[in-house]
Amino acid sequence: MSAGADLREVRDAVADLLADRVSPEVLEAAERDGWAAGVWEPLHAGGFTTVGVPESAGGAGGSVAEACAVLEAAGAAAAPVPVAETGLLAGRLLASAGLALPDGALTTGTGDVRLRDGSLAGRLARVPWASASSRIAVLADGPDGVVVAVVDPAAARISAGHNLAGEPRESVDLDGVVPETTAPAPADARDLLARRGSLARAAQIAGAARRVLEVTVTYTGERVQFGRPVSKFPAVADHLVRLAEQAEMAAMAARSAAVGAGPDGEPAELDVAAASAVASEAAGLVAAAAHQATGAMGVTREFSLGVLTRRLWSWRDEWGGERAWSTRLGHTLAAGGPEALWPTISRGVRV
Amino acid sequence: MIFDPTPLSADEEKLREEVRAFLADTLPDGFRPGLGLGGRHDPEFTRTLAKRGWVGMSIPTRYGGAGASTVRRFVVIEELLAAGAPIAAHWIAERQSAPAFLRFGTEEQREWFLPRIAAGECWFSLGMSEPDAGSDLASVRTAATRVDGGWRVTGTKVWTTNAHLNHFAAMLCRTTPQGEGDRHAGLSQLIVDLSDEDVHVSPIPLIDGEEHVNEVVLDGVFVPDERVLGEVGQGWAQVTAELAHERSGPDRYLSVLGLYRAFLDVHGRVPDDVRAAAIGRIGAQMWTIRQLSLAVARALDEGEAPAVEASLVKDIGTTFEQQVVETLRDAAGGEIDPGGPTMFDVLLAECVLNAPTWTLRGGTTEVLRGIAAKALTRGAR
Repeated sequence: MSAGADLREVRDAVADLLADRVSPEVLEAAERDGWAAGVWEPLHAGGFTTVGVPESAGGAGGSVAEACAVLEAAGAAAAPVPVAETGLLAGRLLASAGLALPDGALTTGTGDVRLRDGSLAGRLARVPWASASSRIAVLADGPDGVVVAVVDPAAARISAGHNLAGEPRESVDLDGVVPETTAPAPADARDLLARRGSLARAAQIAGAARRVLEVTVTYTGERVQFGRPVSKFPAVADHLVRLAEQAEMAAMAARSAAVGAGPDGEPAELDVAAASAVASEAAGLVAAAAHQATGAMGVTREFSLGVLTRRLWSWRDEWGGERAWSTRLGHTLAAGGPEALWPTISRGVRV
Repeated sequence: MIFDPTPLSADEEKLREEVRAFLADTLPDGFRPGLGLGGRHDPEFTRTLAKRGWVGMSIPTRYGGAGASTVRRFVVIEELLAAGAPIAAHWIAERQSAPAFLRFGTEEQREWFLPRIAAGECWFSLGMSEPDAGSDLASVRTAATRVDGGWRVTGTKVWTTNAHLNHFAAMLCRTTPQGEGDRHAGLSQLIVDLSDEDVHVSPIPLIDGEEHVNEVVLDGVFVPDERVLGEVGQGWAQVTAELAHERSGPDRYLSVLGLYRAFLDVHGRVPDDVRAAAIGRIGAQMWTIRQLSLAVARALDEGEAPAVEASLVKDIGTTFEQQVVETLRDAAGGEIDPGGPTMFDVLLAECVLNAPTWTLRGGTTEVLRGIAAKALTRGAR
């Protein structure tokens, strides 16, 4: 019954691994250089970057829930490396097309890309760590349907870009690029990639939100004004409680969608829509409450909150924000009609 | 602590289907759902439900119950609340009183009360709040004075839901006058027979025009020793234990399900994107809060006492319920018409008038957040 214990172990293992490796200096350097080898190498060597990719494809194996457990811990640590992209996104996409994983960091993105006569046309927008990755997995429309194309970033024209956290989000121009390999993708590959992308961000948000709570509780417990810790003032304590509530919401939503995918399956569309709607909304509420509670110190570059809140503000919109997912979910619930509403919501987690 | 989601077993899902089928058979077509735990007081329904074994489920079989887990009871009450079933007659008896008898009652009390509760024949009200003791419950003044063979109780209780219909209430009383020391000391729970001639019940009409909450004047009512619940002087600990366990149940997010369903029926058949976003957001939140509530129930079954989490979940749930009313009102557009032609019209009017109580009953938002904050900041100087 309790898959929870296994997932806790995964989260703890990654948290332990990252504990001393993601320092403020490492984060500053990562924003400057676009890469953090000292964070990536141990994660990759430990097999954590390909959890959720079948062993047969060269991954570490494991379920979507285990992959999300890794991402939660990585999110909590603000690990500035493409863990989600390498495993759950590009890795699983390649595996679904029967392709073996190239070594190193992988990434993928969305965009209107075609494959004609062996070369690609189109561009991918805001691809995480495109130039730092060893390969980009590209979903393209081929003459006979959707294909996965493996591209060496050195062959593409990449223009720089970042999210609010200084994580690379680059534009990848693929016009005329000849992929190293292509393979037919499952017909629903685009949809599944978007689901996993959004679920990955929800898991990262859940982790970061949890850490924001810890940072904020600690700081408000130490900061003394009017002769006592500011956390003792009910108005400040109220921020802490709402922060804790939203951290619970984000985590339960993300974990429910992840566990609902089962040991071998993909996350259900309704579950991802719900998880993303909840986690993306929670991200903004968590950040706002934490900054209000920590005052001016919280918004300094020096303090440990900003690396987390800048990620929350970014991740919540990547692969679709709360309105996009709510709207999609709402149309689906409406189409089911009033009688199906409660049975759908109470379907809960099936494993 | 952040929970992992808990799935329901096949057996638990089967129980859900049984309850769903029963409700489809029992509730009439066009049934106007009650607002969750505000469902109507219907002794006939309660007895019918009891015959199926779904009242007082967590009462052990030797006392006439089903000896079911917290999660199985969760499944049943979730379906009852989702349907807006008329559960008021047995609600407090089964949620609050039966567990209290099990934890604190004498063997005689268990043997007398529990089978009656499980049969749907013995209904309880809560006897906590007083005119000067709301959130500050320890300041109750209702006094119990020692007399031969029992206690004589004098005082006034307020907000006593359905005291005019129910049989008993566990009244929180002062059995020792408040001294200088611990103000939580000297409190006890006494079971008062509401039909006693020294008990005077009068309604307190609320802004929705309903008269289901009451003032209860205890005018020297005699309570025999065998009707003391738990230990004399331990009332505070007993009451807080009761509250903590019952805070995070499905009653905290399902008050609005009937309204939500009616919105879909009336305004959401082919929604525009604005309405779809409203429907989706509510669905996403409810799905998540339900998993949180279920996780608390599972944790209780596993012997944990997640009191702080229960407070958080109640706060999340009741705040959500109020937001739902506003979101759907706004998405529907137009004026609120209590006499309107649709189920959505009448339920919206009822919800708007009732919603303020959702974040008051069972501990106000402010009290709950105070409890949670204390736990979160433990360690701060």
